[in-house]
Amino acid sequence: MTDQAQTTPAEPTEELERSITGRLLFFYVLGDVLGSGIYALIGVMAFTVGGAFWLSFVVGVTIALLTGFAYAELITKYPQAAGAALYTHKAFKSRPLTFLVTFSLLAATIAAAGTLARVFGGTYFNEFVDGVPVALVAVVFIVVLSLINFRGITESVWANMIMTLVETTGLLIILVVGGTVFAQGDADFSTPFELNDGNPTLVVLSGVALAFFAMTGFENAANIAEEVKEPSKVFPKALLGGMALAGILYMVIAFIAAMVAPLADLTAGDGEEGSLLTVVQAGPLAIPELVFSAIALVAVTNTTLVSLVAQSRIMYGMAKQGIVPKVFAKTHPGRRTPWVAIIFTSALVCILLLVADVDRLATVTVLFLIVVYGMVCLAALKLRSSRVDHDHYRAPTALLVLGVVANLGILVYTMVDDPGSLVWCGGIVAIGVALYFVNNAFMKDAPPIDDADLVT
Amino acid sequence: MHVIIATDGSKQSLQAARYLKSFADPDTITSIGVLAVTSPLAAVPFASEGDTGRKDIEELSFRAAAEAATAQIAEVLADWGPKVTQQVRSGSPATEIVKAAKAKEAGLIVVASQSGRASAVLMGSVAHRVLNHATCPVLVVRPGAKVKKPAKR
Repeated sequence: MTDQAQTTPAEPTEELERSITGRLLFFYVLGDVLGSGIYALIGVMAFTVGGAFWLSFVVGVTIALLTGFAYAELITKYPQAAGAALYTHKAFKSRPLTFLVTFSLLAATIAAAGTLARVFGGTYFNEFVDGVPVALVAVVFIVVLSLINFRGITESVWANMIMTLVETTGLLIILVVGGTVFAQGDADFSTPFELNDGNPTLVVLSGVALAFFAMTGFENAANIAEEVKEPSKVFPKALLGGMALAGILYMVIAFIAAMVAPLADLTAGDGEEGSLLTVVQAGPLAIPELVFSAIALVAVTNTTLVSLVAQSRIMYGMAKQGIVPKVFAKTHPGRRTPWVAIIFTSALVCILLLVADVDRLATVTVLFLIVVYGMVCLAALKLRSSRVDHDHYRAPTALLVLGVVANLGILVYTMVDDPGSLVWCGGIVAIGVALYFVNNAFMKDAPPIDDADLVT
Repeated sequence: MHVIIATDGSKQSLQAARYLKSFADPDTITSIGVLAVTSPLAAVPFASEGDTGRKDIEELSFRAAAEAATAQIAEVLADWGPKVTQQVRSGSPATEIVKAAKAKEAGLIVVASQSGRASAVLMGSVAHRVLNHATCPVLVVRPGAKVKKPAKR
């Protein structure tokens, strides 16, 4: 608070209270990234790749980091909450392309929430109440979190920091388990280097999409871009630092998991029954399973809530721009939350999680996200020619080019490897296209914005 | 005396400002701070009621919406006498309102409230939380409240 605000009534000053420091941002990124994958997908990954699934993390984390560089440049260049959609719009001025990116991001967060809800209802929840169907727990979970979203999230980033500390504690437990096993000389050093049968490169690649899922969430950092102090200085370090730390943790933990737990236990039930809890159970430390499960549930809850908020926010933004029917921009008069968007997106999450399993949902999430990430890398390159009148971070051009190539590569590989996912993605896109046309039919009076209007 | 007027971009906030103007003495009030709080982690960090038209993607800024909301209130109070300043903070609305009041050593906080009893208990009302934490008098204006039953809006 400065005294600058005390000016004449004729010239009221805007006092911008930017509250988020580099450290808070770092924890925000770390929390968003950490909660999602490692607690969720370790079993499925071990099943897909074999004991050496940490190698898939190496590849997945690297590609995500490349994308992180593009985000760091664009967020500091255009510090607005709109994120990927805004960058695409600025770079290509094409309505269909902007729609594709916006909708892909929406679909990805919906599928991600479905994945996480199923993980919530799986092994960790079973530690508390056994015998409840996964789908039932998952639906109730989504309904409860949607009510919280409707009530309004006003908590500070400090609350997020506490959640992140809980998530990190869970991972530290695994590190300690690994360290103890290693010190006692009980470590199994052959499993972490075993791959499933097949061409080694392809087997490692088959786990990359899932590893990639574990890195998602960092793009939410764009949401708080407007609130960060000295964004150009702080953002690259906090964003890339948070991602790098999360990535290294993942690799180490994946290695420990294979070193400590028998592969057969990790991959039980096609991997859906294996989790970090399996590692704790196999380890020598007497950590109550309930405590560890509670930590995992907190981690998954945090990330699911972030996804639910993100999807209602994207939907609201699309409605505001007239891309989807305006009803989705309706906010509740008291709460100021977009209740129509919340109901619609949560319903989609519930439908998805009822009909698909964790592996499928995660793959669908990743396919949509790769489209977004690839476009962001491309947009960063394209926008090199447009200048802004403030300092911003400039990522090494080679890394951005690599980012485009790598995202494209994973996209093509995942589509070839798992063509079934395309059907799902197609179905989801169909919903978006339907919305688009319904909107156009009802909004005859308001013609779509011409490209001419977009040129600034 | 410094007065803080909090706005969430609603008509009620505007009415609260008009109400203050209708009875308070502009000579006692030295300055007025109009405050809007954005919640960056929420689905809609800030929605102003005045802001209904279609938006271009580049105009879709929650901070801009908050700034528009404070400007609207500032306009109402512009010719009244006291100095008017505008401020946008980010975080939890009630906490930030109380913090702003403390920082400026405000003598009064003006907020509008539109929640009925049930929703205030279930969901928690900003006005209620401000009342519980403020270190100065609080004026809660309830323009929407009907006599017979709690207003929905």
